[in-house]
Amino acid sequence: MDTLFQLAAGNLLSPMVLFFGLGVVAGFLRSDLAIPEAISKGLSLYLMLAIGFKGGGELASNGVSGAVAVALGLALALSFGLPLIAYALLRAATRLDTPNAAAVAAHYGSVSIVTFVAATGFLGYRSIPFEGYVVAMLALMETPAIVTGLLLARRAVAAGSTAPRSAPFFSREVAREVFLSGGVVLLGGSFAIGWITGDKGMVVMAPAIVDPFKAVLAVFLLDMGLLVGRRLHDFGAVGWPLVAFGIYMPLIGALIGLLAAHAIHLSLGGMTLVAVLAASASYIVVPAAMRLSLPQANPAIYVPLSLAVTFPFNLIVGIPLYYAVAQWITAL
Amino acid sequence: MVQTFRKKKVEIVVEASRARAIIDMIEAAGAKGYTTIPNVSGRGNRGTRDEAHLSDVFGNVMIIVVAAEKIASMILEQSQGLLENYAGIVMVSDVEVIRDEHF
Repeated sequence: MDTLFQLAAGNLLSPMVLFFGLGVVAGFLRSDLAIPEAISKGLSLYLMLAIGFKGGGELASNGVSGAVAVALGLALALSFGLPLIAYALLRAATRLDTPNAAAVAAHYGSVSIVTFVAATGFLGYRSIPFEGYVVAMLALMETPAIVTGLLLARRAVAAGSTAPRSAPFFSREVAREVFLSGGVVLLGGSFAIGWITGDKGMVVMAPAIVDPFKAVLAVFLLDMGLLVGRRLHDFGAVGWPLVAFGIYMPLIGALIGLLAAHAIHLSLGGMTLVAVLAASASYIVVPAAMRLSLPQANPAIYVPLSLAVTFPFNLIVGIPLYYAVAQWITAL
Repeated sequence: MVQTFRKKKVEIVVEASRARAIIDMIEAAGAKGYTTIPNVSGRGNRGTRDEAHLSDVFGNVMIIVVAAEKIASMILEQSQGLLENYAGIVMVSDVEVIRDEHF
């Protein structure tokens, strides 16, 4: 068993984290280094396709059992429940008003697909297997947190405030944004195709989605680093109590995720990934949904917080830490 | 000399996630058409808005409508409410167009 220090150093010196660091530095210094938008979109589609297909293929070779249903139920519970904890902490420890606290809370119940993909890369380097259906948990955890966040905001509106209530709670536009966003469709669709085609499908797809995966991930993280580096200039609106929240909330989420995953008997790899899911915060789907449904909340708060604080924290410190704690729990 | 007709041109720079609502309103107001320019960037009271990379949260769209004065003033009036809490600039100017029947 590696020590936490060895894990952290190994993670820090992996190409994916170093390329991410290069991007952060270049972005922060306002270098003109940029990955063209179409290519970066293409890379992210590739990663969704690969992760979905591999998860589906894994499920096909290991078969569906009751454990899958339990895991999916857990995913829903985490996504619905985590924003309640986040909201309580935000109201107690920061000066955010209700709509902003509700919006931030929704981000922390939802997930970052890139963090998840990076965690599978981390496990891949160490040849640690994980249950394929964890990918389905990822897909399920994106949305429920949005509902909880909107309910928290709405409850407060009902209690006073003059904000108009004419806007529908979960409009068709929001539903389309959330359920039919390109990433969600491709992830779910590839998972289904991987499941249907099984081992034979894997033979066809493996040359494209297995070997190049880690290298593509490293290039994509370079692009993520550039985005994060540019956002580091926006910290004015965020403030230290919130930055601290962006670090302790993932730790709380990860601990809940680890204990819950252990309770339903997931493997070491599965536990690590559920911890990462519970720890990560959305910065693509939830911001888009919040702009449509909760426009009073300020995107200059929630986007830098999840993108420039929590995402790098999970990538650099969180993933090896959650893995180490998962090792420790399974060894008990 | 080609004959021209007096119209109003309304230009709206709006946060991409609000563009759909604005366009629906423009159509409901009776304008026969509009033009959009995606991914416009700039700086205003919400800081620099130029990021269309991850989601459209920090991206802007420009919508241009040319219409008769009555329709244009209806659009101006209704933009007000729709832009509450959103990044947006609304401009109106006098223009002359050819082909009156297109507006």
